[in-house]
Amino acid sequence: MKGRKSLVAALAAVATLTAVAAAYASTAASSKPASARAVAGNINFDGVWSGAEAKAFGAVIKAFNKKYPQVHVKYKSLGDNLPTVLATAVTGGHPPDMADIAQPGLIQQFVDKGALKPITYARKSFAANFAPSWLKLGTFNGKLYGITFKASNKSTVWYNAHAFKNAGVKPPKTWPQLLAAAKTLKASGTPAYSIGGADGWTLTDLFENIYLRQAGVGKYNLLSAHKIKWTDKTVTTALKTMAQVIGDSSNLAGGTSGAIQTDFPTSVNNVFQNPPKAAIVIEGDFVPGVATVKAKPNIDYGEFAFPSIGGSAPAVEIGGDTLVAFRDTPAIRAFVTFLTTEPAAAAWAKRGGFATGNKKMSPAVYPDAITRATASAIAKAKNVVFDMSDQQPGSFGATVGQGEWGLFQDFLRKPSNVTGVQKKLEAAAKAAYKKGK
Amino acid sequence: MSRGSITAEPPIRAAPPPTQEPGALGRYATGALFLAPAIILLGVWIVYPTVYTIVRSLFGQSGFDDFVGLGNYRTLFTTSRLLTAIENNAIWVGIVPAFVTVLGVIFAVLTERVRWSVAFKTVVFLPMAVSAFATGVTWRIMYQQDPSLGAVNALGRTFADAIHAPGVLASASPSTPSLVPQGGGLVLKTPLHPGGVALLGLTAIPPQQVPSGAKQAVAPTPKPGAIEGVVWRDFKPGGGVQGKVETQELGLPGVSVELRRGSKVVQSTKSKADGSFAFADVQPGSYRAGIGASTFAKPWGGISWLGAKLITYSLILAYIWIWAGFAMVVIAAGLSSMPRDVLEAARTDGASEWQVFRRVTIPLLWPVISVVLVTMFINVLKVFDLVITLAPGSSQNAANVIALAMWRESFGGVNDFGVGSAIAVFLFLLVIPVLALNIRNFRREA
Amino acid sequence: MAATATARAGRIPLSERDSVAAKIARATLKAPVHLVLVVIGLLWLVPTLGLFLTSILPAQAFTLKGWWQIFAKPSLATWQNYSDVFHNSSIIGSLGTTAEIAVGNTALVIVIGALAGYAFAWLDFPGRDWLFVGVIGLLVVPLQMALIPMFTLYDKLGIFDTVLSIVLFHAAFGLPFAIFLLRNFFVGIPKDILESARIDGASEARIFLKLILPLGLPAIASLGIFQFLWTWNDLIVALTFGQNVQPITVAIFSNLRQFGANIDLIAPASFISLIVPLAVFFAFQRYFVQGLLAGSVK
Repeated sequence: MKGRKSLVAALAAVATLTAVAAAYASTAASSKPASARAVAGNINFDGVWSGAEAKAFGAVIKAFNKKYPQVHVKYKSLGDNLPTVLATAVTGGHPPDMADIAQPGLIQQFVDKGALKPITYARKSFAANFAPSWLKLGTFNGKLYGITFKASNKSTVWYNAHAFKNAGVKPPKTWPQLLAAAKTLKASGTPAYSIGGADGWTLTDLFENIYLRQAGVGKYNLLSAHKIKWTDKTVTTALKTMAQVIGDSSNLAGGTSGAIQTDFPTSVNNVFQNPPKAAIVIEGDFVPGVATVKAKPNIDYGEFAFPSIGGSAPAVEIGGDTLVAFRDTPAIRAFVTFLTTEPAAAAWAKRGGFATGNKKMSPAVYPDAITRATASAIAKAKNVVFDMSDQQPGSFGATVGQGEWGLFQDFLRKPSNVTGVQKKLEAAAKAAYKKGK
Repeated sequence: MSRGSITAEPPIRAAPPPTQEPGALGRYATGALFLAPAIILLGVWIVYPTVYTIVRSLFGQSGFDDFVGLGNYRTLFTTSRLLTAIENNAIWVGIVPAFVTVLGVIFAVLTERVRWSVAFKTVVFLPMAVSAFATGVTWRIMYQQDPSLGAVNALGRTFADAIHAPGVLASASPSTPSLVPQGGGLVLKTPLHPGGVALLGLTAIPPQQVPSGAKQAVAPTPKPGAIEGVVWRDFKPGGGVQGKVETQELGLPGVSVELRRGSKVVQSTKSKADGSFAFADVQPGSYRAGIGASTFAKPWGGISWLGAKLITYSLILAYIWIWAGFAMVVIAAGLSSMPRDVLEAARTDGASEWQVFRRVTIPLLWPVISVVLVTMFINVLKVFDLVITLAPGSSQNAANVIALAMWRESFGGVNDFGVGSAIAVFLFLLVIPVLALNIRNFRREA
Repeated sequence: MAATATARAGRIPLSERDSVAAKIARATLKAPVHLVLVVIGLLWLVPTLGLFLTSILPAQAFTLKGWWQIFAKPSLATWQNYSDVFHNSSIIGSLGTTAEIAVGNTALVIVIGALAGYAFAWLDFPGRDWLFVGVIGLLVVPLQMALIPMFTLYDKLGIFDTVLSIVLFHAAFGLPFAIFLLRNFFVGIPKDILESARIDGASEARIFLKLILPLGLPAIASLGIFQFLWTWNDLIVALTFGQNVQPITVAIFSNLRQFGANIDLIAPASFISLIVPLAVFFAFQRYFVQGLLAGSVK
C-alpha cells in the first residue's frame, strides 16, 4: 500500500485540478464517481421550513446519510426572514452552502450577482426523474441552478360536499359550469365562494389560475417576467373573468366587506364547517392542512381541479421551494444529486404535506387519496408554471399590503374598476422592476 | 411599556463637587474603568449605528455603491403608503396625548376620595405591564366584525336588535323578477284581482333556516272572490324551474303576507305549513300582494373595526386603554403631593370646587401634566407593536405608522435599507426637540 | 399609589364633620362616582378576561361564537389548549429563550448601569458633565436608528440571530435610562457616608460594592423591573434579530397571520406570556410605581 501512496496523491491532484478547471469552465463536470462512503464534508443549509416541515426535511437528510454517512447537513430554519438574511449574507460574501428559496425572483437576483453555483452535474439524474418543464423551472440565464424539491399544486378548488349535495350541483369541469354551480348554490342558501381577502396572495393565486387557463402558458410566462404590461388586453379579460367570482357580494361569505377581512385559514373553515358559510374555496393543495374544524375527506369536503376556461388544456400552477447551492464541493454535489432521486422525495412524501414532480415516485407513497390526486396532477401535467407573484420582485409580488397583494385587495373591494387596477398594477410593477435592477 | 415613559423632563440634582484631588490622570483612569463597559455598549450599539443610518439613508437599495443623495427622502414624501404612515402618525399625535392626559386627570380626581381606589388603579394600570403585543391579540378578539365573535360588536348588536329585530328570512331574496322590493319588503309586480293567485317564490334560504314544520309547497288554485297564494322556497337540488312550485320545494310557514290596495293594507295573514295563504271576501278591484319588511330585516352586521377605514381609530382606542393607567398614576402622585393649604385657602375664599380645580389644581399640576404629554408624544411617534399585531394584513397599509413603515421597508419584504434608513432618520428628527428639552433641563439645573 | 392613601386623611371640611344629614347627602352624591368607577374598571378588565376565556375554549367553538358563550355553557371550558401549548416544544423553547434574554440583559444593564451611574454621581473626572449630557441625549434615540446597522454588523460578526445579539441590543438601549436613573439616585446618598469611607482608605471599587449597591437597592430594583418587562414584552428587536431563536413574541407572531385558525394556540400562548409580567408587576408593584415616578415627577 505504502508504495502506491505517491501515485494516489498524484491522481488526487489531477482529479482536483480537473474539478477546479471544470468549475471555472462552468460546464458539466462529470467527475469520477467516487465511492459514496469517501465523500465527506459539512453542508450548512438555510431554509424557511420550521416545525413539522423541518422534521420532514430531517428525514430526507437521514435517507441521504444512509448512502453518504460522512456528509453532515446542518439545517437551520430562518422562517420568513430568509430572503433578507440571504441577501445580506450574499452581500457580505459569506452565504450558507445551500438554501431553499420559495421565490424564483430571488434566485434570479442571486444568479445575476453570480452568487449561485450551477448544478449542471445533477442534470442527468434530474432529467431522468422529472419532466422537462421542471428542468425549465430550475434554469436561469440558460443554466441549471435549482431543483424545485417541494411543490404544491395551486390549481385546486375545494368544496363542502354537503352544500353541493343540498344544492344538487356536481364539481364543475369548465368555467361556465362553475358559474352555473355558483348561481345554484346561492339559490340554495349557501353563498358560493369563501375568499380569504385579508391575505393578498389568495387573490393573486385566483387571478393567476384564471390567467393561466385563459391566456395560456406563453403569455403567463411573459407577464411573470413583466415582458408584457399589466395594462395588456389579456389582463383585462382575466380581471373581468375574476370579477365574475368576486363581483357578486351576496355570493361571498360575509359579503365583500367580510371577504376583505377573512384570513386564509378562516376562509377554509368557512367552507369546511357544517353548516358552511360558503361552499367553495379556491386555493392550493395545502387547504385541508389549515382547517381547524373537523371534516373528513370525500364525506365532508372534496376537491376538483381548477376549471378549464374556453376549452383550455390542463395546466397546473405550482408554488414550491427551490433548492440552490452557493458553493460547489463533492459533498454538495452528492446531496444535490441525491435530492433529484426517488428516495429523497419519498422520504418526505410519506410524511404528508408534500408533493413532488418526481415521476419515478409511486403515488402510493402519498398518505391519502386526495393528496395522491392533487400531487400526481403535478407530476403528470405538461403545462407547469410557477406561482407568478413569487417570480416577481418581492416588493411587487410578495409584500403585505403592497404591490400586487394590496392592489388585488383594492380590486376585491371594487371589482368594477378593472382599468384603474390595471394602471396601478403596471405602475407598481414598473417601479419594482426598476428597483430590482 | 416603553422606555420613553421615563425620559421626559429628567429630575436632575447637581452632582456634588469633587471631594478628592488625585492627579487628573488617576481620576481619568478610575472614571474610565467604571465607564468603559457603558461607553463600549453605547458607542457600538447607539452612536455608531446612528451615524451609519444617517449615511446609509443617502444610498440606494443595493448598497454603498449607489449614491442617491436625498432620493430616499423624496421617496418617503412621495410614496402614498409612506405618506399614509406620516398622516396616521399625525392623527395619533393629535389624539392620544390629549385623551390619555384627560382620562388620567379624570381617573385621578375621581379616585382621590374613594376608599377602594387602589383596586381601581391596579385594574386600570394592568395593561401597562402587559406587552403591546398581547394587547394586540386581546383587542383583535374584541374587534372581530361578526357580532357573534367580537365582543364590541356583540354589545352593538344587543342594542341594534332591540331597536330593530331581525326577520325570520333575513337572507332570502325573490326567485323571479316578478317579485320586486318595496319599502324593505317584497311585492308582486302584477296587480291581482279577486280570483287571482299569488306566487311568492323565495330563494337563498339555507336549509337550516327553513322554519321547522315546513311541508311540500302546494300551488294555489284560483277561487272566486278570494285571492289565494303560496310562499315557498323556490329551490330544489339542482335549482329547479324558477317561479314554479315543484316537488321537493317546501312551503314557508309563518310568513306574514299582506294584501294592499293602493298603499293601504287591507288584509294580512300568515302562511300555513305548506306555505299557502288565502285572502277571503276580496271586493272587486286591483290589489297587490306582498311580504312585509319585518320578514327580511337583516340582522345588524357589525362595524368593521379592523377594516381600512376605522383601523387607525380602533388602534388608538386600544392604545389609550393601555396608557390611561400610566397618566392616572403619575397625575395621582402629583395630586397627592399638592400643597393642601393653597387649595383650602382658595376654598375659604369662597371659590367653587370647579373654580378651585380650574384655577388652582390644574396650574399646580401643570408640570406633571406636561410630563405626561411629552412622554405620550414620544411613545406615539414610536408606536409599532400594537399596529403590527392588531391590524390584519389587509388593513396594514391603512394603519401604517412611521415606525411600522420603517420596519416594513427594511425587513418586511421590500428590503430597501436606503428608504428604511431615511424613515429612521426622519423619526429621529421628530424626537430631537424632546432631546433638546432634556438637555436644556439638565443644564438649567446642573 | 401608597402616597395617595396617606394623603387622604384630614381633608373633610370641618363644617360637614358633625352633620349626619350632610354625611348622607355626601354618600348619595358619591354614589354615581362609585358607579362610574365600577363601570370603567369593568371596561378595563373585560378585554383581558376575554383573552383568558378565549384561551380555554376549544378552537372549534371560537369559529362559531365569541368567548362569552362560556357563560351559557361552562362545560366548554378546557385546559386542552394549555396542555397542548405546554407540550409544544417550540413554544416552551421560545419561553426559555425569552427568559434568557430578559434575565441576561437585565443583569447586564444593572451592572454596567450602576458602574456608570456611580462614576457620574461620585467620581470626579474631566469632561464628566459633558459625557452625562451625551447620555441624556441618547435617551431619546429611537432604536429604529440601530436596526439596519446592527442587522448588517451582526451578520458580519456571525452572531446574527443569537440570544447574545438580542441581549446586547437591549442592554445598549436600556443603558441611557439605567445610568440616568441610578446616577440620580446615587447622587442622593448622603455625602458623609461616602466621605468617611474614603477617609478610612476604602477603594472606589470597595465603596461601590459595599456601600453604593446596597444603598441603591430600591432604584436598582425599579430599574431591573422596567428592563425585565421591556425585554420580555419586546417585539420589534426580536422580530428583526430573532426569527430563528424565536423569543415567545416572535413565536406567537408567526402564527398571527392565520389568526382565526391558530386562535387555540395564540390565545393561551399570549396569556402565558402575559402571566410573567403580571406576576412581576404584582410582586414588585411598589418599585414599579416608584421607578415610574422617579422618572417623571419632580
